[in-house]
Amino acid sequence: MLECKNLEKSFEKKLFTEFNLRLKPGEIIAITGPSGCGKTTLLRSICGLVELDNGQIYLDEKEITNIPTEQRGIGLIFQKPVLYPHLSVAGNLKLGNHKGDIAKSLEEVGMAGLQNRSVESLSGGEGQRVALARALLAEPRVLLLDEPFSSLDDELSTKLVNEVREILKERNCSAILVTHNKVIASNFADSVISL
Amino acid sequence: MKIRLSSSCAFLAYTLLVLIPLWLALDRLIWIAGPNPINWIGSLDENYISQGVVGFTFLQALLSTIVTLIIGLPIAWQLGRHKWPMQSMMKAVLTMPFVMPSIVAAMGFMHIIGRSGLNIRADDSTWYTTLIIAHAWFNMALVIRFCEPVLSTLEPAFEEQMRLLPAGQTKIGRLRKLWAPLLAPSVAAAACMTFVFSFTSFALVRWISLGDNTLESVMAGLGSSAGIPNYMVSRNEIILGASLIQFTVLLSSLWLMSILQQKRQSLLPQASEKFVKTNNNKGWMIVGPGLFFAVLPLIAVFWASFRIRNSDLSETTYSWGTGGWEFAFSSTNSMPSAWDALYNSLGYASLTLCIALPLGWTLAQTIVNVETKRPRYARFLDILTMVPFAASSVMIGLGVMLGMIRIDAEFFYSFWLTPIIAHVMITTPFVVRIMLPALRAIDPSYDECAQTLGLSAWKRFFSIRLPLLRGTILVATIFTLAMSLGEFGASWVITRNSDWTTLPIMIDSLRSIPYNNSLTTPAACAVSSVLMGITLLLFTWAEKFRPSKGGGMF
Amino acid sequence: MKLFTVLTLCLVFVASLSGCISQQLDDDEQVPPSQYEWEDDGELVIATYDVYGLTDELINEFENQSGYQVSLLKLDDAGSVLDHLLQHQGVQVADLAIGLDNTYLQTALDYNVLWEHSAELTNLSESSLLPYNGTYAAPFDQGYVCLNYDTNIVDGENYSVPLSLWDLTSEEWRGKVAIPSPETSSPGRAFMSATTDYFAHDSDNVSDWTDWWNAMSANDVIVTTGWSEAYETHYSGGYGEWTEGYVGDAHIVVSYCHSPGVESWSNGNWTKSAALNLPRASFHQVEYATAIEGGNLAAASAFIEYLLSPAINSKMPIENYMYSVLEQSDLPEEGGYRFNSVVPQQPANVSTTDIAENMETWLSQWNTAMVAE
Repeated sequence: MLECKNLEKSFEKKLFTEFNLRLKPGEIIAITGPSGCGKTTLLRSICGLVELDNGQIYLDEKEITNIPTEQRGIGLIFQKPVLYPHLSVAGNLKLGNHKGDIAKSLEEVGMAGLQNRSVESLSGGEGQRVALARALLAEPRVLLLDEPFSSLDDELSTKLVNEVREILKERNCSAILVTHNKVIASNFADSVISL
Repeated sequence: MKIRLSSSCAFLAYTLLVLIPLWLALDRLIWIAGPNPINWIGSLDENYISQGVVGFTFLQALLSTIVTLIIGLPIAWQLGRHKWPMQSMMKAVLTMPFVMPSIVAAMGFMHIIGRSGLNIRADDSTWYTTLIIAHAWFNMALVIRFCEPVLSTLEPAFEEQMRLLPAGQTKIGRLRKLWAPLLAPSVAAAACMTFVFSFTSFALVRWISLGDNTLESVMAGLGSSAGIPNYMVSRNEIILGASLIQFTVLLSSLWLMSILQQKRQSLLPQASEKFVKTNNNKGWMIVGPGLFFAVLPLIAVFWASFRIRNSDLSETTYSWGTGGWEFAFSSTNSMPSAWDALYNSLGYASLTLCIALPLGWTLAQTIVNVETKRPRYARFLDILTMVPFAASSVMIGLGVMLGMIRIDAEFFYSFWLTPIIAHVMITTPFVVRIMLPALRAIDPSYDECAQTLGLSAWKRFFSIRLPLLRGTILVATIFTLAMSLGEFGASWVITRNSDWTTLPIMIDSLRSIPYNNSLTTPAACAVSSVLMGITLLLFTWAEKFRPSKGGGMF
Repeated sequence: MKLFTVLTLCLVFVASLSGCISQQLDDDEQVPPSQYEWEDDGELVIATYDVYGLTDELINEFENQSGYQVSLLKLDDAGSVLDHLLQHQGVQVADLAIGLDNTYLQTALDYNVLWEHSAELTNLSESSLLPYNGTYAAPFDQGYVCLNYDTNIVDGENYSVPLSLWDLTSEEWRGKVAIPSPETSSPGRAFMSATTDYFAHDSDNVSDWTDWWNAMSANDVIVTTGWSEAYETHYSGGYGEWTEGYVGDAHIVVSYCHSPGVESWSNGNWTKSAALNLPRASFHQVEYATAIEGGNLAAASAFIEYLLSPAINSKMPIENYMYSVLEQSDLPEEGGYRFNSVVPQQPANVSTTDIAENMETWLSQWNTAMVAE
């Protein structure tokens, strides 16, 4: 369970203050708001890529506010799929967990059999699926998603929204989605917060 | 912003190894010569040994720049605008002179004009012309490297449009209105660097000229009598004056280059792959001689290593033989063998690499890390890493000799690694320059994503960062090795001890042996050939691994 | 706040460049030579320039006889030998210096970089001990420095043999005279010292030696760093013609009065070089072997004894092309060596005291004279 207490961050202007959140295991929530209001920063501060001005974050009762990102156990899906060009699909997945079952995780995201493809040849949607598979291989306690569907066309993004939600629910993995699209937010999440 | 421990260590090491020797040397010289810069500059004219040097240096650098452009531009044009068989190899051959050690080039040109070649050295004006041409030989690579990419990737629509406009209907018109403005920053950048390299020329001036000196060579000659209290004070003044002038020239050119770099980069986005090149048979008249010119001195050196002069009262003949090679590779009481020099050179180069590469990389990484949050601080660090660029190699040698060694002379004189201090000082800025654009090009989200996947810092470094930078690291490695192997100016000032001899110094020593020993010249050429061979090898590897996008130094 | 920091840093930086740091370092390091300990490590490092006579055979024989391992530290000329000694004051790397002559010795003595050697010297000629007779330096060869001219060209038709040094300032000699620099070369400094005496005694009471050098400078005299560059590369009358870097633009050069003898002997009794024997235009030079402070004194002394042993030193004219310092020694007669060598009747009268007191001033005056318009 993820708990955020009074998170505060300013960056030339106040982005968010006294932000509180409680995320139950398996719960998916979405945070919406206009561009530039600080949603991405909020997400990045939860996983530790950005330092908070104030506030504490607890994961399963343990405080993680000052722990480095790689030790937090929180995954992040970026806006554009971050796939390493010098590694194949399988190589990228191994980064998540090199003992993991690559084939199974690819199947889970609907990319079965594409282990040896080069990442340059993947489309936007395919790339995000691989990124998702990789993030899930790392078995995060919480998965954060930073507008991963915004660069895809409507049809694809709707499809992907539903599929990703199903996968997360099956795994009982809690997630926070950040998006400016209210429709996607309500389709994906159990509840929506506005920033 | 947390400054990591490794960054602090890097900057500490850099300061200790690079900045402090220069500062200490300056301190020592000022202690002896007094703190009045006007005196220093004035002393250049007041001393016989340095009289006329400033004028000579500027003039020959200026002429060299002009001749380099005259030779290089037509070649760059032909390469850029037309199709050639084995294009990349031709480009490699034409740009290869730039990486050659200057002492090898000096030997080559000496032989072309010397008694075993054209035998025209006796004429006063010949050596001056040869010096200029030798500088052009070195630096035409710059003109080609800077101008050819612009020429070969220009969006054809620009030229087509120009042809249809009244201003561009004639060739001259197009030249003035399209090509000149387009090429101007690249030509200016090449001219600027050529000027700087010719200005600080040492080995070529030492060997080709008949007693004339550049600021660099005069400083080198005076180095051994500098820094001694109450002894030849005027020499210290001359060194300070010459250093000041060189420092100003180098600094100005650095500043100019950074402005031009920005201008060039704003033009490159116009690059287009649509441009289709045509053959041009007439172009061979330019490119052919260019290729020949590029390899001529190297062939001359190799050839001369087998030519032994036999002279008696009546005549001088030349015979072929390996006597020069044998002489070079055997040691005597006064001259170590080329094996020792080779061992030293390779040892120094490897150790320089082990220090300069991590150091330069960490410095570059720190600059990139700090850039986004504190740009002014990053700029300050950036300029700090460029300080050695504003010092010529002789100045750096003097820095080590008068600065570092003086801290604990007994230790440093007996320490085999002392010369590499100079090598590290010279190569680290190049590593920074090469790595900076590559590090900047790495998407920061690569590292962030890896963090969210739970990868530790070491794992992130080895699995992600290192593979992505592989090509750049290789280029930096090869560059560092080549520069260390061919380093002449600083080593010449420091190395007065045969334990430290390197290949370039050995070439110089062999050639300087007086009296009528007919093996010394072929021996010098033999060692030059060895050095040349190693450099060529490194250069071909570098060409293979060069990242295809330009930017950075080359 | 930031500006203040920057300004303070700049101030500190500039202030520190005033030289106080170096002063500190130097004060800490001054080891008085007398407190230097030395040890015999079986090695002998000789700091020298390209002395012709220090051949491999000579050195190997010494190594065999004495058991010492010899290595040579090659420098450029007498000036750089002196520079080396001074640069390494207190931290010397060599044990023995060969190549200081009687115009360079005093500076080395002043700086206390030499030690008294323990070699036994016997049979030394009076002339060799004239400039210096003590235990800090052992003479090992000597000669008279004077001008040499190319007899093929200076034959009375194209050029006439100069009867006075002032002739060399005339238009026909423009750019045709080569002189090694007194700042770096020992024959060069010897010649300059001679000119101080020559012009003090010439018929002209108005001008002095600096005026002559000034005129020579205006007449494009070729000044080189060392003797070998002047003689080999520029002089047309010597062996340079058969070397690789020969240019041959000078027909008169500063060399030794016995150099034509050397040429003749090497060529099998033929030479086109002759010595210009003008009164007071030659200088008696003695070259020294000196033990260096803190070096292997035993090895240095052993080498000095070796160099001065009759077997070796008597061969100086042939091995090193200089006069021996042994009593009653002379140049060999073969090949016209003695015949073509000139013994000047009236070398310049410049005493060791003159040199000790004035050399620094002379060098400074020389420099001024060469630079002035």
